[in-house]
Amino acid sequence: MASRRIEERKAQHKRYKEDVERDGKPFFPHAMFHDTVMSLVVVVVIIGLACVWYFTAEGSDDPGWLGPHYTEKADPGTTDFIPRPDWFFYFLFYLLRIFKWPDTVVLGTVGIPNILLAILIALPFIDLRRERRLSRRPVAIVTAVIVVLAMGTLTYKGATAEEALGTQLVLAVPEWAEQQGFADDEDAVAGAEIFAQVGCGQCHQYLGTGSTNLGAPDLSDVGASNRGPEFFAGYVANPAQFGNNVMPPYAGLGEENLAKLGAFLDASKGPKG
Amino acid sequence: MALSDRGTAIATAPTRGEQLKHVALYPLTWLEERSGLVGAVNYFLFRKVPRDTSWFHTLGSATLTAFLVQAITGVVLAFYYKPDPDSAYQSIQFITNDLTLGWLVRGMHKWGASVFIILMFFHMARVFLFGAYKYPRELNWIIGVLLLAMGMLEGFTGYLLPWDQTAYWATVVGINLNGTAPVLGPFLAQFLSGGAEIGSDTLSKFYSLHMLVIPGAIIGLILLHLYLVIRLGVTSPPWSDEAAGRDRGEPAAPKGGRRGLMRPGRRSTNGQ
Repeated sequence: MASRRIEERKAQHKRYKEDVERDGKPFFPHAMFHDTVMSLVVVVVIIGLACVWYFTAEGSDDPGWLGPHYTEKADPGTTDFIPRPDWFFYFLFYLLRIFKWPDTVVLGTVGIPNILLAILIALPFIDLRRERRLSRRPVAIVTAVIVVLAMGTLTYKGATAEEALGTQLVLAVPEWAEQQGFADDEDAVAGAEIFAQVGCGQCHQYLGTGSTNLGAPDLSDVGASNRGPEFFAGYVANPAQFGNNVMPPYAGLGEENLAKLGAFLDASKGPKG
Repeated sequence: MALSDRGTAIATAPTRGEQLKHVALYPLTWLEERSGLVGAVNYFLFRKVPRDTSWFHTLGSATLTAFLVQAITGVVLAFYYKPDPDSAYQSIQFITNDLTLGWLVRGMHKWGASVFIILMFFHMARVFLFGAYKYPRELNWIIGVLLLAMGMLEGFTGYLLPWDQTAYWATVVGINLNGTAPVLGPFLAQFLSGGAEIGSDTLSKFYSLHMLVIPGAIIGLILLHLYLVIRLGVTSPPWSDEAAGRDRGEPAAPKGGRRGLMRPGRRSTNGQ
């Protein structure tokens, strides 16, 4: 059976070569003409995009139609900036909102992308039939439609994902303090403001605000386990020490701020009543 | 000197036209004799392709064009870009605002990247829908997937180079994500960031990967890809009535009239 299939496909390729040799057209000029026209279109589109990008935007101030020329200079000190990849990584970016730290986030970061890549590479060895007509390849058609829809949806969701800005989150701090009952704890309130300002909310949820990026957990009741402010201060300073390689280290905030942040997180026992 | 059977008088005294032709073509003859390149180009240009190739078949060369745009604009950008955290941002501002037509070169490089990636996906979709990854073209499909992965890596490494906030924070997250991979992850993240924080080591590494390592790999893979396309041939559209290599088992094609080649009892798969 298998050997017959091998014989058949060999014969088919031989037939293909004979047909092309007998009935085909020379690449130049016929096919090459199409290629040249298409290549010119590509170059014109690229130049067009560059012009629209340049002439509708202004430096780092006005994003124009296609985004700013550049944003502010990189500053490792300010964390109130929303990390965003280029658009063709949006599908991966959004995938990370679906999986949660720490149990399944590895599925989103490396698991699913690598499995997809492996399947893509293995495709010619999965689909061994000689059939090429679409009407007789229902599985291929359905797979293609699902992949396009999934990638399209994830890219769209990634593009339109709402990010919480620190300046907006700060306004919610008094409400947090009341709900959590730490309004009298000065350190915890100060810590909450730091939490809002340095951009923790870009990945973490807190009492319904913030985002759920990169599988980061909801921190509304992270203090319920009573691990103490020092634990949280140490964790935030260097998450990698605790086996968390996704979260960046925030040791740069300084001892004092970290202590306040720790007090805030420890005081977050979950909303009262 | 051309041999002639018309007599030694002609052979020893070629006409003026023949002499001119000989002189004009001498560089080509010289090159062909020493390299075979003229024959190779000749073969490439005048090789036969199936009669029914269409606009769908232009996506591959369009992708190559987009890559060449990236290569050329990339070289120009490298003339003026400074891969070091203190001056990278300023050099990008200089290229965009002050350098003559620098905005165009940078804009073409920035947007050409998106066009390159979109075209790779379109080209892959075309190959998938045409079933063109099937025997004997499996290897070329794999090379294509590797090219796609390399293209995405170019996108990732190039994103950091402007050294603005967008670039910096996207890369922080990207490197941390690499760090979650089991076993190799932490090493990879450590290698890419080149220290505890993303800084000048990271920028140099990304620059080197972006303009030497990955483009080198891409060029090599593209040459292999093209070699295999030329060697194995281009597939006809699967819906074509006159697809090259189609089975002759089904009722004779309306236009073909190749009844003599019919092989009854075989299911048609419509060629390659």
